[in-house]
Amino acid sequence: MDRLSPGRNTTAQAAARADRAGIAASTTILIGTMLSLVGMSWDIQWHGDVGPDTFFTLPHLFIYAGSAIAGITSLAMVLRTTAAAKAGRSVALTAGGQAVGVFGKTFSAPLGYLVTGVAVAVFLTAGLWDQIWHTTYGFDVTIASPPHVALLLSITFTMMGAVITCAAAGRTAWGRRGFQLAVLMFVFFVLVPLLALKQFEGAVNAFHAGIAFCTALALVTAAYFLRTGREVVAIGLIAVGVQALLWWFSPWATAEYANSVGLPLREFREPSPDVPAMLPMALLPMTAGLTALLAAGRSRGWSPARVAPLAGAAVGLVVAVTMPVQLAVVGQEPLQQLGKTALTALLGVGLGALAGHLGVRFAVMLRALEATPAATAPIPATTGGH
Amino acid sequence: MRTSWLRAAALAAAAALALPLATATPALAYEPVEIVHTEQVQVGPYPVTVGFSEWPLRALHSLDFTFMPEGGIADRSGTVELMPDADPSSGETEPLSRHPRKREVWGLDVYALDDPGPWTLRFSVDGPLGRGEGVLPRLSVLEQPGPPMALSWSMSVIPMIMGVLFLVVVWRRSRPGDRIGTAFAT
Repeated sequence: MDRLSPGRNTTAQAAARADRAGIAASTTILIGTMLSLVGMSWDIQWHGDVGPDTFFTLPHLFIYAGSAIAGITSLAMVLRTTAAAKAGRSVALTAGGQAVGVFGKTFSAPLGYLVTGVAVAVFLTAGLWDQIWHTTYGFDVTIASPPHVALLLSITFTMMGAVITCAAAGRTAWGRRGFQLAVLMFVFFVLVPLLALKQFEGAVNAFHAGIAFCTALALVTAAYFLRTGREVVAIGLIAVGVQALLWWFSPWATAEYANSVGLPLREFREPSPDVPAMLPMALLPMTAGLTALLAAGRSRGWSPARVAPLAGAAVGLVVAVTMPVQLAVVGQEPLQQLGKTALTALLGVGLGALAGHLGVRFAVMLRALEATPAATAPIPATTGGH
Repeated sequence: MRTSWLRAAALAAAAALALPLATATPALAYEPVEIVHTEQVQVGPYPVTVGFSEWPLRALHSLDFTFMPEGGIADRSGTVELMPDADPSSGETEPLSRHPRKREVWGLDVYALDDPGPWTLRFSVDGPLGRGEGVLPRLSVLEQPGPPMALSWSMSVIPMIMGVLFLVVVWRRSRPGDRIGTAFAT
C-alpha cells in the first residue's frame, strides 16, 4: 500500500471520520424510527387488548424514546456541522446532505438532520398540546384525536428526514440499506395518522385512498432513487419480515406487559393484531411489479416522466383493491361492498398517478443530495490531529 | 476536544432518556374507577345499575361506564347500544364485558359520546331468568368542553402544512422536473 502524503492522509482520515459519524447518526435515527413504529403498534394493541392508560406505559416510552433518540442525534449532527463551519473546516458529509443556514447562518444544518430535528421539535410541541387535550377531554378514546394526528404527522416527518439523511449517502451500500429501511418505516407508520381519514368515510374508503397515495409516493420515489431492481424488491422482502415481527411482537408484548403489571386482557379482542393487520401485505409483489415496469420502460426508452405516473397508478390500484380483502381475511372488518371498492380503486388510480408524478421528481431531488465519498473536501492539516 | 464534547452530548442524551424511566414508577398506578352518578334501568327481569365516572356528561369527554346487574354478572351476557336520539342509526353496539379496572361489573372504559343532546342506551341481557331488554332514555349530553373541532383540527395539520411548505421551497429551488431526463443516468 502506498504511503500517503500528509495532505492525502488527512483527507482520507477526514472521509473515514465523516463516514463513521454518518453511519452512527443515520443508524441511530433509524433505530429511533423503528422504536416509534414498534411502540405505536404495541400501544394500539395495548388499548385494544387491555385498556388502562397512563403517560408512563412502556409502549409510550418506546414512542417518546424513538423521537428523543432521533432528535438528539440530529441536534448533535447539526451542532457538529455548525462547529466545523465556524472553525472554518470543511465537513465531509456522506449522510445528511448539504448543509443549509438556519437562523441566518447561526447554524449549519445538513438537510436530512434539519428535517428530522424540526419534526422532533414539532413532536414535543404537539405533546404539550396533547396534554392540554387530556386535561380538557380526559383519556384518549381514539388514536385519531387532533393532537394525536399532530404527533403522528411529526413522527412521519421524522421518518422522511431519515429517508433524506440516508439518501444523501446513497452512493454507499450502508446509505442505501438505510434508505430502504427508512422508506419502509415511512410506508408502515404513515398508516397510523391516515386513520384520521376514517371520519370521511362515504361512497369511497378515504383511509384506503390515503394508503394508496402514500404507498405509491414512497415506492415510486424509492424505485427511481435506487439503482437496481433487486434493491427495490428488497424493500418488499424487508416489509414481510417487519410485518411478521410486529404480528408476533405486538400481542405478545401486550400480554406479557399486562401480566407484569397485574392487569387482565379484555374478554373481547380483535382476532388479529391491529396495526400489523392493516399494513399492506401486497408490498412485495408491488415492488416486484414496479421493478419489472421500470425495467420495461428503460429497455424501450420510455421517459421516466411518463412511466412514473403509470407505476404510481398501478400501486394505487393494487392497494385499493387488496386492502378490503386483506382486512376481511384477517377478521378486522367485514368485506367491503364491491361498489365502494370500485370507486376507491378509481380514486386510488388517480391519486397513485399523482403520487408517481411527484415520486419520480422526489427521486431526482434525493439523487441531487447524494454525496460522493471520494470527493470529500480536505480538512486543513492544522485541524487534523485529535 | 471533540471527543469530550461528544461524550458530554451522549451523557446529556442518556440523562434525558433515563429521567422519565427513573421517575416512571410512581405514575404506573392505573386510576381506579370512581362512580360519581348512577341511574337504574329495568332490563326485562334484571334490574341494572348504570354508573358514570363523570357527571354531567359532555360530548367527546371520555369517562367510564359501569353496568351492574342485580345478582352479579357471572351467569349473564348481553349487549348495550348507545344511540344519539338525533340519529339512532349511527349508534354503536358493544358487548357487555368486564370493566378492565373494575372486574366485578360490566363496563366501558375510556368511552365518549360524540354529540351533544339526548342519548338512549338500549340493553339486552341473557341470564337464568331468560332474555330481557330495556332502555335508559333521555341521557343528557352537554356541549363539548374544548374549542370547536374545526379549530383543533386546523392546529393538527400544522406539521403537514410545514412539511408541504418545505417541499414547495425545495421543489422551486431544485426544479426536479427539468432534470428527469438526466438524473437517472448513473
